[in-house]
Amino acid sequence: MPLIHVAGSEKFVFEERASDELCAIASKFVPLHTVDAAAELAIDPLTYEVIRHRLSAITDDMGDALKRMSGSVVVTDCNDFNAAIADEAGDLILVGQYNMQLAASLDMAIKWTLEHRSENPGLRPGDMFFCNDPWIGGGLHQNDASVFAPLFYDGELFAWSGAVCHQVDLGGVSPGSWSVAGTDVFWESTPVPPVKIVENGTLRPDIEDMYLRRSRVPKLIALDLRAKLGANNVAQQRLTQLIDKYGPRVVKAVMKKMMHDAEHRLRSKLRSLPDGTWGAVAHQDGARAGDSNIYKIVLQMTKHGDKLTFDFTGTDAQVEGFVNCTFAGVRGGIMPIILTMLCNDIPWAPGGIYRCVEIISERGTINNCTFPAGIGKASVASAWATQNAVSECVAQMVGTHPQHRKAAMSCCQGTWDLALLAGVDQRGAPFVTMLCDPMAGGLGARVDQDGVDTGGQMPIPMGRIADVEINEFSFPMLYLWRREEMDSGGPGRYRGGLGGSSCFVPHDSPLHGVHLVVSAPGKALPLAPGLAGGYPSATSYDVLMRGTNVQQMLAQGFIPGDLDEIDGRHEVLPSHVETNMAANDVYFTHWQGGGGYGDPLRRDPHEVALDVASFRVSPRAASDVYGVMLKTDGTPDAGATEARRRDLRRDRIGAGAA
Amino acid sequence: MIHLDDNLMLTDDGAVMCAHCQTRLGENSHEPLAHAVRRERPSRDAGPGVHADPKTFTTREIVLRQLFCPGCSTVLATEIVPRDEPSFRHWSLGAKA
Repeated sequence: MPLIHVAGSEKFVFEERASDELCAIASKFVPLHTVDAAAELAIDPLTYEVIRHRLSAITDDMGDALKRMSGSVVVTDCNDFNAAIADEAGDLILVGQYNMQLAASLDMAIKWTLEHRSENPGLRPGDMFFCNDPWIGGGLHQNDASVFAPLFYDGELFAWSGAVCHQVDLGGVSPGSWSVAGTDVFWESTPVPPVKIVENGTLRPDIEDMYLRRSRVPKLIALDLRAKLGANNVAQQRLTQLIDKYGPRVVKAVMKKMMHDAEHRLRSKLRSLPDGTWGAVAHQDGARAGDSNIYKIVLQMTKHGDKLTFDFTGTDAQVEGFVNCTFAGVRGGIMPIILTMLCNDIPWAPGGIYRCVEIISERGTINNCTFPAGIGKASVASAWATQNAVSECVAQMVGTHPQHRKAAMSCCQGTWDLALLAGVDQRGAPFVTMLCDPMAGGLGARVDQDGVDTGGQMPIPMGRIADVEINEFSFPMLYLWRREEMDSGGPGRYRGGLGGSSCFVPHDSPLHGVHLVVSAPGKALPLAPGLAGGYPSATSYDVLMRGTNVQQMLAQGFIPGDLDEIDGRHEVLPSHVETNMAANDVYFTHWQGGGGYGDPLRRDPHEVALDVASFRVSPRAASDVYGVMLKTDGTPDAGATEARRRDLRRDRIGAGAA
Repeated sequence: MIHLDDNLMLTDDGAVMCAHCQTRLGENSHEPLAHAVRRERPSRDAGPGVHADPKTFTTREIVLRQLFCPGCSTVLATEIVPRDEPSFRHWSLGAKA
């Protein structure tokens, strides 16, 4: 069925309003605490720094609370969550250093709640709201379920706290809510606009039941819900103590000053960079299972004076599939790059930073879709691709500055190679989990150094992968290997960081197998481009081997270290597929590295030799891409290398030049 | 003189020059690589990092598209994209917002 507009869905859309305008609406129903500019001016520097760092520590405490209470490996071991604090208008004062894509949209949900829930059901002390509707905010796809809470002090709404984490299953056609065959949102988990899930300090069982009823693993989701309530409770207690100590006027003034400082410092940095326009494109191959088309997100970023404009005109229209993202995805693709590449020396106060940014994006496009377009994979599909394009433009701009250029980085891991496992675990309990091994993506090369191998991802500074043993303990799987993959980093004068691979078999499930959902674009073309002529990273590559002899090999005490060592039917998987794995099936997933920087023919031959010796670069790539010929002892052959590079340079602009 | 990246410099007269061999690549920063040599090849020519034939996954032709300095053959820009798409990776300095 084609995407047909749903009348009335316009209500559930975040509308950008000035904070003053929003406060005027909300203050008819709830008293808001604010301060004038004089309060900011009165703050002494020492008090400012003490309170600023205390607020930062509170988001850390929120993260700790989430990790300690959650039972999901995605949260406890992989840090796919975040926490944030906002002022009374919902402007973000700071976000934690976990998944910044998630926190970059919490302000949207809070602001929508202020506008639409202040009158009825109202905002009162002890209330908390739940939301997983990405058209409103609070996350990028339905699995990003957020809980946020107004903080009252002396009867006034003083601030907001918020926590959001990836939930492993919230219903929909396919396990994990990744409905790869889906054509619209009705195949997916139902988005829930902000609802009051905690009232006067008590969790509402009717709302909780409505939420949990949809999940294949409701007990786990209930635990994660309590983790988010706990994180908000921690924030509310700590913030109240802080206000008790310093007074509401001082604390609020610090909050406002943090945003102003971030804004002013970013504007100052922007002024030091040349005006200009930079263009980029980010692709995705396949919008759903069986789709062989390629979709593009086009970006033209303009820097003029102290302002950045991100113009996505020319981006493809929203598509039948599950890879679209809402406006929250556009913001989620922009903010993490600004924070890491432009604000590495500026406080991470998105409420101030957003004031330097204009976004031009047409509704109904693949990264600003309208209801009921499918968004089940939004966070790691169109939002991720948006981030790739933003990363490329910002890096080129920053790269022109003699000092700031060191912060420029080629695109990191161009996509998330999703493997979702579901079934019955070794303890006889139903399970669903997203394998988070791709959290160890390759970072992009820098202007003066290689990218960090399996160093992580740009939007999640604190991202990590679970130990192999934790995954094997938690889920019915047995690893054959998990490792960095040769040639996965984009070649360049400075090489992109390596991506990795995991290879495993189902193990010890009473069903003798597991259900597998795979969703990984970047197979027809790599998605992490390089800079300054640097090559993109490797493509994604997923292989399912059917009917193998792996169990016999293991019984004989031999652990295969390569797919070529295993007998069986070799299936190269498309971008999106859902299938079952039997006990003798082997799954190999290879995620992307980072893009390279500069011409690979200008890489130091000794560095290439070291890369070959450490299995980071193959002898073939050393010769064909880097033009480095090695002696039998592995050291560079200077004469042969010079001749090889000369030949390759001649090939470049010889026959076929256009 | 401004270093734009590893390969490009913006001269005081507004031209863009190869940082390695000083070949003029563009007369101004609005068409910075006008004189660069453009070449397209099959995407798998990018090396072993392109694991599988793109035809396995898509009906569109995928190419390795590169720009080179005509003086020293240094690669200035690299992208792997559908052949039927223009290049969206362009830049100019001094543009008005």
